[in-house]
Amino acid sequence: MTSTMGDPAATPAATADLWAQEREPAQKPEEPSLSAGEWLGRNLFSSPVNSLLTVVFTLLVLLAGRGLLNFTFSEERVWRAVKTNMRFLFTHAYPQEQYARVWFCVGAVAVLSGLSIGLLAKTGRGISMKKLSMNLMAAGGAIAVGILLREPSATVDSEGLVVHREPGTALDDSFAGWIDANSLALLGLLLAANVALAVWFRYQGVYLRGGPEPRTAHGVLVLASAAVLIVQQYGEGEIVRESFGSAMADRAWWWLAAALLGAAGGALWFGLGDARRRNTFVPAMYVFFGAGALMVLSAWVYPWGHYAFLEGEFISEPGSTVAMTTKLPWTVMLVLLVASFEAGRALRATPAGRRLRVPLNLLWVLAPFVLYWAVLRDPDLDWDHVLSTDIPMALFFAAFGGLAVWFLAHPRIGEVGRVIAVALVGVAVLNWVAAFFGWYPMLQKARISFLLLAVVALLAHNFAGDRTHRMRLVVAWVAIMAVFHWLVTLVNSPSTVDTPTDALFGGFATTLTVATFTLLLAFPMGVLLALARTSKLPIFRVLATAYIEVFRGVPLITLLFFFVLIFNLFLPGGMSLTDIAGATIGFALFSAAYLAENIRGGLQAVRRGQYEASDAVGFSTVQRTLFIVLPQALRVSIPPLVGQVIATFKETSLLAVAGMFDFLRIADKVISAQSEFLGVKREGLLFVSFIYWIFAYNMSKHSQRIEKRLGVGER
Amino acid sequence: MSNTDQATLAASQSERPPFYRDATIVKWLAQVAALALVVFGLVFFTTQALDNLDRQGIEIRYDFLSIGLGSDLREGIDTDPDTAGRALWVGAVNTIRIAVGGIVAATILGVLVGVGRLSSNWIVSRMCSVYIETLRNIPLLVQIIFIWALVATLPNVELDQGPINGLLHLSSKGVSVPRLHIDDGFYQWLIFLLAGWLAGSYVKRRRERLHDATGRDTYPVLSFLAVLAVFGAVGWVAHPIFGWVGAIFDFIGDGFSSLTPIIVQVVLSLAALAAAAWWIRRFLARLRTPAGLMKLTDDDKFRIIFAGVGALAVIAFVLVGWPGLSSWIINSGTDLLGVIADKFGDGRTGRPIDVKAPDVVQVGNFPNPGPAGLNLTQGGTAVFFGVVLYTASFIAEIVRGGILAVPKGQTEAAQAVGLRRVTMLRRVILPQAFRVILPPLGNQYLNLTKNTSLAIAVGYSDFVQVGQIVYNQTGKSLEVISLWMLFYLACSLTISVIVNFFNVRMRIVER
Repeated sequence: MTSTMGDPAATPAATADLWAQEREPAQKPEEPSLSAGEWLGRNLFSSPVNSLLTVVFTLLVLLAGRGLLNFTFSEERVWRAVKTNMRFLFTHAYPQEQYARVWFCVGAVAVLSGLSIGLLAKTGRGISMKKLSMNLMAAGGAIAVGILLREPSATVDSEGLVVHREPGTALDDSFAGWIDANSLALLGLLLAANVALAVWFRYQGVYLRGGPEPRTAHGVLVLASAAVLIVQQYGEGEIVRESFGSAMADRAWWWLAAALLGAAGGALWFGLGDARRRNTFVPAMYVFFGAGALMVLSAWVYPWGHYAFLEGEFISEPGSTVAMTTKLPWTVMLVLLVASFEAGRALRATPAGRRLRVPLNLLWVLAPFVLYWAVLRDPDLDWDHVLSTDIPMALFFAAFGGLAVWFLAHPRIGEVGRVIAVALVGVAVLNWVAAFFGWYPMLQKARISFLLLAVVALLAHNFAGDRTHRMRLVVAWVAIMAVFHWLVTLVNSPSTVDTPTDALFGGFATTLTVATFTLLLAFPMGVLLALARTSKLPIFRVLATAYIEVFRGVPLITLLFFFVLIFNLFLPGGMSLTDIAGATIGFALFSAAYLAENIRGGLQAVRRGQYEASDAVGFSTVQRTLFIVLPQALRVSIPPLVGQVIATFKETSLLAVAGMFDFLRIADKVISAQSEFLGVKREGLLFVSFIYWIFAYNMSKHSQRIEKRLGVGER
Repeated sequence: MSNTDQATLAASQSERPPFYRDATIVKWLAQVAALALVVFGLVFFTTQALDNLDRQGIEIRYDFLSIGLGSDLREGIDTDPDTAGRALWVGAVNTIRIAVGGIVAATILGVLVGVGRLSSNWIVSRMCSVYIETLRNIPLLVQIIFIWALVATLPNVELDQGPINGLLHLSSKGVSVPRLHIDDGFYQWLIFLLAGWLAGSYVKRRRERLHDATGRDTYPVLSFLAVLAVFGAVGWVAHPIFGWVGAIFDFIGDGFSSLTPIIVQVVLSLAALAAAAWWIRRFLARLRTPAGLMKLTDDDKFRIIFAGVGALAVIAFVLVGWPGLSSWIINSGTDLLGVIADKFGDGRTGRPIDVKAPDVVQVGNFPNPGPAGLNLTQGGTAVFFGVVLYTASFIAEIVRGGILAVPKGQTEAAQAVGLRRVTMLRRVILPQAFRVILPPLGNQYLNLTKNTSLAIAVGYSDFVQVGQIVYNQTGKSLEVISLWMLFYLACSLTISVIVNFFNVRMRIVER
């Protein structure tokens, strides 16, 4: 299978590799730096089996890379379809004249991210100059290899038609043609030579001696195989290809990029001189900003071309620079990101910065609601109603509830507080019963506010404290009421954004929106379900277990069908859910079951002593859960929770099957149905995969970093 | 603290708190309230749905299952089913087929990639990481649709075309490979295998005992396999002598069909009661200590009550909820016994298992499983390779984690007692890694099975896609959804039971 099983020579290296992750010492010893030859010998050609694996897998890598490059850059690929539909892919039918709103949202997220990273993120050591320069050089080298591996373009005649080979004219009139015709035989020969060499070296004991012969001999043969694979491209097929020289010249821009990257890396490497200075670290964010700045700069300088699909019109101007509509906003976004990051870093050590942390996290929770309902929907508020009803009602609940909280959170309130709280619960329940039987009219908003108040009143004694503490509770309550009433007013106001479809937007924006709201809904549900499932109270436990097992046992797609197509049957007459809302509920119920299992794992990791200690200091169950158990449990379950976030993000692709115009559906069905791009499907799908991959990959890397930092499983 | 203070404290502690602060009462009140809320919600939504359906003149009934289906299926054991029920059965078989094949293939690929990622060879471990990090970060649905689009670009169907002529056909229509075919006489041969299994187990146990007594190498597993092979080989030619077995099943079937519904109802009710009683007895036995029965907590009492209520609910369902159940059991049981009797019947003298080479992948229609080999349509290919490649990337990570989780001391100890490398892997490392790997592996199998439902995006006739056809033609949305849920819950349960079985077997035996 691999060398770890087959050969004794690889044993020490293999086992070292195997256990490296387990016992990571606090201070890593300096890696001995190997010369390139030693590195090759140790990692690739340390034994016969290892050498052959290297040979076979190098060929596989070259073949796969060549296939991917030829697929991506083939003349048959209509990447124009993706470029032209870019706006469509990301927001579907959101009107262009309102696009400033979309940019506002992106900007808000940029500012929040910059501030959070600057203020909160544990930055670590960053990236060492050595690694940076090596990566730059590697990128340059990879591009150069890619240019060589890629199939040359077809030759076209003066009318722009592909020139085919005359039947009868043999391929072997050139060197490349000869290689092409005999490529299989050549590769077989080289492989056989590799095997023979490995056996020969084995019996001469060369591997055990660790001399340079194996790596040199095998390396030359591998390079020869690679050369065969590269040259073969130039003599292939029935179509007359460009000559080697013109094919290389065509890729001048790419050569330039490779040369620049390589030169930058090399300059960094040699400019820094000695090993110690190469081990200085740059913050990772600055590298990221630098890369972003290069990309934005390229939008101003490089003729990427201007492509758009506006009001049914295809605009396709290859060779011009990107339209103003994207390069200017992206520049602004980058500036905002950098500026907010710097602001966050400047505030980091100050008391103001410490005070900002909680509001910043709250803003993240609030942002989806505000951006979706207030900014993107551009609601048309009925000001008479707002002034006459909404604001007074909000004021009433803020004042009344604030007083109640102030009073009930008093440490010496005693029995009276509980009676009042129970009375409030009674009122709240009565309101809902009245709603069911139609006894007296009341705005739904007021009913929900009462319910919120009742819950807060029941819990208030758990948060009892001194005056400032209680003041903080009151402020929190007033803020909750303000936000809640404001949001409900917004939700109830009609949108002024006019789109041809039912949904406000589609494409990637839907993917992100649904994923965000799903997680916001599912997370509290998951926590409650996990608590219920680990509870000692049997009915809670049975209900939660049944819920979790049923929802985990059923495919998500059937749930989506249920909530998108059928759930409206279950609602009282006149009520209905939009597709997006239904889908979000389906996703949320499904994710909640999985989140609950993840959190349950965390809850079980909280040790008994923690429970007993909190009982000993006289905490109530609520206090124990909120202040002792959950913080520890959630901390342990962060890695699986991030895993679930990634899973939810990927699962949103199922919106396409449930009939919504999400990212995938547009790439799969919509673009391929446009008259300009009939049947063009794989380009869009590849692009969609790439975008999903970028997001999911970065999240999973981030989760691995968190895991390492938390040291979960190491204590 | 003064004496009086302590006295009041003592007094306050001895006296019962008011009812609204009594922990027991509040707990039960909260639970009953939660239960009431859930029940109320379910009842509310159900009545709404029933009202709405009533207004549209739709009833919830399952008789559409025996009504004809107007359209063909793309592939399956019966591409032109007579009834909707038969169509759903074909879909279920397709799902199970993809799931089982996918689980096997994904496990093999995943283990290879996972072990490869731990290889000391730089390029092998890098390639395996790239495989994992790429595939598991792209949504499965995107992958499935992409594979579908790739298959669409393969050349059109032509006669006698394929990379390995006669054994593997690849075209834009799909893939076709040879397959094993259960032929006549398979079931009689199965009796031989069963006998071989029993005899082999006996031999194995004796060899094991001999090994324990003398310490010699007695190869128990090999002897078991040898005995099984001998029986199988004999049975390969001798299986027609078991032609009379079918008559036994015929006889049982006759007896079964003469049962009356009442008897079945009574038997089912008694079985439910007996099961509950057995469970309660076992539960109490576990709580019994030498000093007598332990004090029952609320939770224990609840479990006992729950068992009793469950049994009563089953009885109510059998007697009142669905009185037709018993006659259904009788009818389908008789049918089943009839089918079995036919399978074991006389005159089945052919070879037990046959290999069918694929015919060319035919234009338009995919006969499956006709006389031709194993065919997968374009959609089937996409779903199969999609779920296999995707799940393998997760399995690889699980395998890697499992191997890393075996403490280093185990390897060192194995080396110290002089075990060979292969023996060490087989006897020391893999069994321990397997213990860590198995539970998450089971989850992946479950996910794979559920993920086959994405077949709907590429038109493979799996259970969900057939369900959607049925639902589009009959409008029976709720019924179809309930069948979907039941089917997938049954699948999940089956996989959990199987994984759990191995989990228990692998567990460290503690004293």
